[in-house]
Amino acid sequence: MIWHIARKEFFLNVISVRFAVSLILCLLIIPFTTVINIDDYRNQVRLYHMDKQKAENDLKKTRVYSGLRPEIIKPPNPLSTFCKGIDRNMGNRVKIYFGDIPSLPEGKASLRDNPFLNSFFSIDFIRVLSILLSVLALIFSYDLFTREKEEGTMRLALSAGISRSTLFVGKILGVLLSLIPVLIVNYLLCILIILFSEDISINSEDWINLLLIFVFSIVYILIFILIGAYISSRSKQSSISIVVCLLCWIWFAFLVPIIASYSAESFVRVQLSDNLKYSIDELNAEFYSKVDNEITPKVEKELNWNGQKGFWWYSGSYDGYEEISGTGLEIVELERRTKALSEPLRIDYADKKWAIIKENQDGFIRQNRFQNAIYSLSPSGLFEMVAEQLCRTDAKAFLAYMDDVREYRETLIEYFVQNNLFESYRYITAQPVDQILSMEETKKIANSGNIPDCWSNNNNPVLDLTGVPMFQYEQANTRNLISLSLVKIIILLSVCVVLVVMTQRSFNRYDIR
Amino acid sequence: MLQAIDLSKRYEDDVLALDAVNLEIKEGEVFCLLGANGAGKTTTINLFLNFIDPSGGKVLINGIDATKDPLEAKKHVSYVSENVMLYGNFSARQNLDFFAKLGGKQNLSKEDYYRHMREVGLQEIAFEKKLKTFSKGMRQKVGLTIAIIKDATNILLDEPTSGLDPKAASELMQILHQQKNMGKSILMCTHDIFRAKAIADRVGIMKEGRLVMVRSREEFLEDDLERIYMDYMQEMSLPVE
Repeated sequence: MIWHIARKEFFLNVISVRFAVSLILCLLIIPFTTVINIDDYRNQVRLYHMDKQKAENDLKKTRVYSGLRPEIIKPPNPLSTFCKGIDRNMGNRVKIYFGDIPSLPEGKASLRDNPFLNSFFSIDFIRVLSILLSVLALIFSYDLFTREKEEGTMRLALSAGISRSTLFVGKILGVLLSLIPVLIVNYLLCILIILFSEDISINSEDWINLLLIFVFSIVYILIFILIGAYISSRSKQSSISIVVCLLCWIWFAFLVPIIASYSAESFVRVQLSDNLKYSIDELNAEFYSKVDNEITPKVEKELNWNGQKGFWWYSGSYDGYEEISGTGLEIVELERRTKALSEPLRIDYADKKWAIIKENQDGFIRQNRFQNAIYSLSPSGLFEMVAEQLCRTDAKAFLAYMDDVREYRETLIEYFVQNNLFESYRYITAQPVDQILSMEETKKIANSGNIPDCWSNNNNPVLDLTGVPMFQYEQANTRNLISLSLVKIIILLSVCVVLVVMTQRSFNRYDIR
Repeated sequence: MLQAIDLSKRYEDDVLALDAVNLEIKEGEVFCLLGANGAGKTTTINLFLNFIDPSGGKVLINGIDATKDPLEAKKHVSYVSENVMLYGNFSARQNLDFFAKLGGKQNLSKEDYYRHMREVGLQEIAFEKKLKTFSKGMRQKVGLTIAIIKDATNILLDEPTSGLDPKAASELMQILHQQKNMGKSILMCTHDIFRAKAIADRVGIMKEGRLVMVRSREEFLEDDLERIYMDYMQEMSLPVE
């Protein structure tokens, strides 16, 4: 009997104007959104290849260990074409420094040619789906009971000898079945466009994740159908019901996200970035002061150094990179011993700076959790968060990635320590050690004008990177993703069950006279 | 058989809509319930259909308590409302199919539906037309067909002739007469004294929730039903001194 009622509901919905309008709406919005997101993804891929090539080239050109600071380029996530999540705000490049522990990537992952268009184009398939499906579900269910009451068909149906529960389940199922074709059209359109785009390759695990998102989309639709049905069961007229439903939609789809963001920023305080920068600058100054006032004099004293430094070729920059050639063995020794002491100190100071940065980042994470907790009050929020997790574009996935990056930095430092690279000549010079002469001999050659090739940094050999640990990132698999989003999934399903019970109880008391 | 035993209904706003009504309609009997608006006629029907719960007394349909076992009780009753709307985007036949299956008639063919529609005098051309194009009389006929198809032993009708032209109302009465002859118990709430006189075996007049008068066919034909009815109505509308 339930199936019979559901079929009737489905048939009446499918031939209705609202169904046609819904389909047309989807046919207009989904391809538009998908094409824009694919275009954005293509840009990311293009940037990724460029950045990756540059990072690899830079690494291959490295001649000294003080310059061995790999840059990690995060590959774009194909599922971000469905759900951008926080990926839209994050960069894709992380340079591994020993003097800083990486917290946030640099660069702009979702760069478009025109930055003024960014905010407009940041809407993705899942957000569109969340807005569109919720309003369609409400439009199909706001008059689920009121219409039948107004048309007198409910009295006739209930006089036929069926229970209210049967009628309730049949009608809900019917509306759900009517919206599933709309949902399928949405997904098919998006997937077809993606399949015809050569740049995007989705692996089997991602397909499973997409299938799961599809299943949760059905749960999401059901929740809004039940909200509409509940409002219908509490309303005397369809005109009242539609107004309440639209207010609910605005509340859940638009106001709750705004309130969530605003209250997260208002109630969870995070250290101002200016204060953070000031603290970091202070630690940097303290580090350089220690190097200049403690380490360097100590080494100079050990070596009885009282002369001036002089190099034929010097390169140096941030994070202790120093590459010298064409200088006396005494200076090289002085620099080597200084580095052997300053680099571990640099790493210690990185830990100190990280403590401050982490506190700030923990504040951001607390804000994110607070925002998510409030956003969880909306079914739209729950659905979007589950989708973000399954697409690996949520904060947790990003933090896991950054944890891996930091772990890689530790591995690299461990490699340097185990191989005594900080105290090696190769840390600061690529000039063969046997060709480094005493200061006196070096000066003579410099004065003669007959400069050997190895005095130029560029002529010296690059590092053999065999054995140097390289970054490898393993994404969480579907099982892990499900366990990560289990709480939200349980809440989503619980909301559904609670709404079923509430709506049915309300319909059981519904006055059909 | 339809029975109301000391049936009362008091609504949440404390209005006593029905006050200890006793009623029994036997097989093959047509009982017409007359009364002004708000007299309690529709409330009586709503109680028989278990759309509302009684505040006191009980309703029996073929001996089954409609409050305790509403689903079983409703198997034995068909209902025709005042304004049969049905599903406008469904054809007459599709509407019949839907409600027939709800009423437990699973195996009826298209021809069966056509036959029943012919029986109530619906034109062939209308069988597959969408109901939203139908006149009220045509919709009422479809509603009656639904009741006939269910083939329940009892029929409840709430103002079935309201808004119908005399010809359509007369046709409806003929169909009801056929049903009565088939042994159905029929309870019809109406304002239409003329139609009540034409078909009723007994009439009852309701006033302020009470069944104030019941007359058999012989009695009301003898006493002039219009006069009796008007007397009761005037009594009600007299100002309180």
